[in-house]
Amino acid sequence: MAKSLAAQLEEAAPPCADNSSSNYLLMDHPDENKWADCVHCGMCLESCPTYLETGKEQHSPRGRVHLIKSVAEGKLNVNAQFADPVFQCLDCRACTTACPADVDVGGLIEEARGQVRKAMPLKGWKGAVSSFFLKGLFPHPERMQTVSGLLKFYQKSGIQSAVRKTGALNIMPAHLADMEAIMPEVKQPVQKKYKDYKFIPAKGNPKARVAMLTGCIMDVMFSDINESTINVLTHNDNDVVIPKNQTCCGALHVHAGDRDMGRKLAKQNIEAFQGEEKVVVNAAGCGCALKEYPELFKDDPEWKAKAELFSEKVEDISKYLYDTGYEKPISTVNKKITYHDACHLAHGQGVRHEPRQLLQDIPGVEYTEMANADTCCGSAGIYNITNPEMAGAVLERKMENVPDEIEMISMGNPGCMLQMAMGVQKYGRRSEIVHTVQLLDWAYQKDQENIGANQEATSSKG
Amino acid sequence: MFRSRKKKQTRKDVHVAQLEAIVGPTEILYEKEDLLSYDCDGFTVHKAMPKAVVFPKNTEEVAAIVRYCSVHDLPFLARGAGTGLSGGAIPLNGEVIISLGKMRNLLSVDYENRQAVVQPGFVNLKLTNSISSKGYYYAPDPSSQYVCTIGGNVAENAGGAHCLKYGVTTNHILGLEVVLPNGEVIEISDGGIPDSPGYDLMGLLTGSEGTLGIVTKITVRILKNPQGKQTVLAYFDNVEDGSRAVSGIISAGIVPAALEMMDKTAIEGVEAGAYPVGHPKDIDALLLIEVDGIKAGIDEQIEEILAVCKSRNVREVKVAESEEERGKWWANRKTGFGAMGAISPDYLVQDGVIPRSKLPEVLKRISEISKESGLRIANIFHAGDGNLHPLILFDSRVPGETEKALEAGTACLKACADVGGSITGEHGVGIEKKEEMRFIFTDEELEAQTRIREVFNPDDLLNKGKLFPTPSRCMDVKKVVKDTVAAK
Repeated sequence: MAKSLAAQLEEAAPPCADNSSSNYLLMDHPDENKWADCVHCGMCLESCPTYLETGKEQHSPRGRVHLIKSVAEGKLNVNAQFADPVFQCLDCRACTTACPADVDVGGLIEEARGQVRKAMPLKGWKGAVSSFFLKGLFPHPERMQTVSGLLKFYQKSGIQSAVRKTGALNIMPAHLADMEAIMPEVKQPVQKKYKDYKFIPAKGNPKARVAMLTGCIMDVMFSDINESTINVLTHNDNDVVIPKNQTCCGALHVHAGDRDMGRKLAKQNIEAFQGEEKVVVNAAGCGCALKEYPELFKDDPEWKAKAELFSEKVEDISKYLYDTGYEKPISTVNKKITYHDACHLAHGQGVRHEPRQLLQDIPGVEYTEMANADTCCGSAGIYNITNPEMAGAVLERKMENVPDEIEMISMGNPGCMLQMAMGVQKYGRRSEIVHTVQLLDWAYQKDQENIGANQEATSSKG
Repeated sequence: MFRSRKKKQTRKDVHVAQLEAIVGPTEILYEKEDLLSYDCDGFTVHKAMPKAVVFPKNTEEVAAIVRYCSVHDLPFLARGAGTGLSGGAIPLNGEVIISLGKMRNLLSVDYENRQAVVQPGFVNLKLTNSISSKGYYYAPDPSSQYVCTIGGNVAENAGGAHCLKYGVTTNHILGLEVVLPNGEVIEISDGGIPDSPGYDLMGLLTGSEGTLGIVTKITVRILKNPQGKQTVLAYFDNVEDGSRAVSGIISAGIVPAALEMMDKTAIEGVEAGAYPVGHPKDIDALLLIEVDGIKAGIDEQIEEILAVCKSRNVREVKVAESEEERGKWWANRKTGFGAMGAISPDYLVQDGVIPRSKLPEVLKRISEISKESGLRIANIFHAGDGNLHPLILFDSRVPGETEKALEAGTACLKACADVGGSITGEHGVGIEKKEEMRFIFTDEELEAQTRIREVFNPDDLLNKGKLFPTPSRCMDVKKVVKDTVAAK
């Protein structure tokens, strides 16, 4: 005699005897309304880099949402087994794009990470490293500037070339050595360079005043991109303000589960940019984080309102230029170029068309679309440091999609730039990694030089 | 490889250890936290925990796992992407789940003979994407084709929007490699030669919902892209006019590639979802009609379709002006089920089939069922072949609502069976509709089918408790289902 369905289900070990209470014990837990939209249809599966890599459901968006929900239902505890899938997530948001019901998986993951980190703080060297970078360094512009100086010294003094020659890098973990190899040349941070400026004036009649987020790592490792951003903005008749009290956006903290620090930084930035109409950002990850500040203040109506007001002012540089109009350069940049969608630009902010249009408006650019352009490169904030193996696998897939003959890969996020540079280096490609505004800036600079040359020619004739 | 944490030092079950020896330590899950993601598929009403999940890389490993389970009396089942809507991959008996997600390669394409060989975990849409540059495609297109696997399609005999003209999965399968429940590997129609003599085993296996064997290699038919394609969108002020237009188009002798319908609630859902088109909010129904084939003749067919729609009081009807517009309409339709999440926390989708001419009658009955149950029902369906998908919207957090939704679902299927229809078009029976099998089969007929299963699966270890009603009398189970739901 066949068993009844009830008996079968009973034997199937019901996941939990007592699912009456949530196992999220701390404030700011994952928001029920976010998972209520998930009907477990699975349309997200193929969009998820970690699912594609592992083939395992707990490393898929739907699986993670299921687990996060299960903790709230009391079926699971916040423990190492739960933390693993939650932290293996790249937070790339590709699933948000794929989801028919717009489930905010990224938001859920960040909230769950907050619970994990509070319940089980990082210990040992991981904790020390994390707290050194996330607490002791990134939020402090003056310390970042010191680092910038040290890195510059490392590069200019000959220590770098010595280190590279002696093979001292061989004793570093492979992925860190890979990173050292692609470290960009460090220049002066714009925060320092323009510290005596009230604002950097527009080249022509100012049509708008924009405030710029300089970013923490951006201004140290990629201050030339910040410089280009300022040039492109002023070239297009914008006065540019660099508020002094601004700080790190907090994206890395929120990704790592340190939401308290995220809130602290958010408050500082909201105040630093008070009174400004527009906040322009050239790093996709930072822009997305700023736009999502209201998420951090769910339980604080006063700051939530402020955060909402603030987040509406935030705009990615490519979208700002596209929306407000920009001068099309005349000079040619004769390069074969492709574009990589930073996750937090394409999936996070829905900015896809604008940067592509910018690139294609530069004369001479031979643009080729990359297959799966909006698939994560594996950078994902500091994911490539915390999860090097998975990041490497994701990067390998990404590089397979870069067309052979490409000379430049353009993108809008510093994390991606480092990761893609690593990919180029590792897989013996020749493509140069550039930020979209850099290309525009170079074309404008060429225009200026040509005008200068013409004027000289005219005046010498005269 | 990607495990950052150390495995818990729990004492490993002896079976788990043996299975691990077959697939390797990284390709097996057995801890509760890892297994939880496998407690259901796209059918979320029932959940149950597997004993373990294994990820074989090839046929030999599948066969070894099956042999082990068979010798040691362990229940087991196969799982693809887990997008099934009838619970076919839910481990009711604490099964060992054999995930075919790692067998996800395209093995070969033979353009000359128009066939391709794939592993079961190969994603449906990937096949079309892999061959489209040569002008070919794979016809069966279930709405989940972005993620669902061809192995799963074979198990469920999946259909899709375009099966009206091109048929369902079984019409596109040319050969199968199958691991039988005792671990023996057989080839059916090796090399994909059509019309082999003897019994049609391929037809029997396709749609057997994973109860007769596990498919490990599939030879499918691929088709040349149609020369031309036109898509029409028509808005109606009442559902009846829409339904009549459907019958009108078919009786005019046109065989559209697809003929889809959505009602008001469904439109509300898809417009709130991730791919809104901007359909008017106050219409009662819309039709999405696609015609394809050789270029000559398509325009005439479109003219005729427009004329039929107009004669049925269409409010607005338009032809897609670009591939982009067409893509937008289809994305809106194909993500329809998931989009219901935007207007309801849970949904239960039914899958009845009725004669086309009964469409207005049955839709009316469904709207009555909605009123009686107090639950909203959205209708998204393949109107052309009378395959209805009433989506019953409910909130499982409200006590008693899941039960009501199940009842409403059953009532919808009853309505279909009552007009001479069937209880499933393409989603399969699984756990969900096994009781409703009694609406269309007598005890003797069910018994005869169970005996066929016993030939392949004598110990009933493979996907036990699916497809056919288990206890002898219908009423027992209905009560049991309620009890389990209430206990949830």
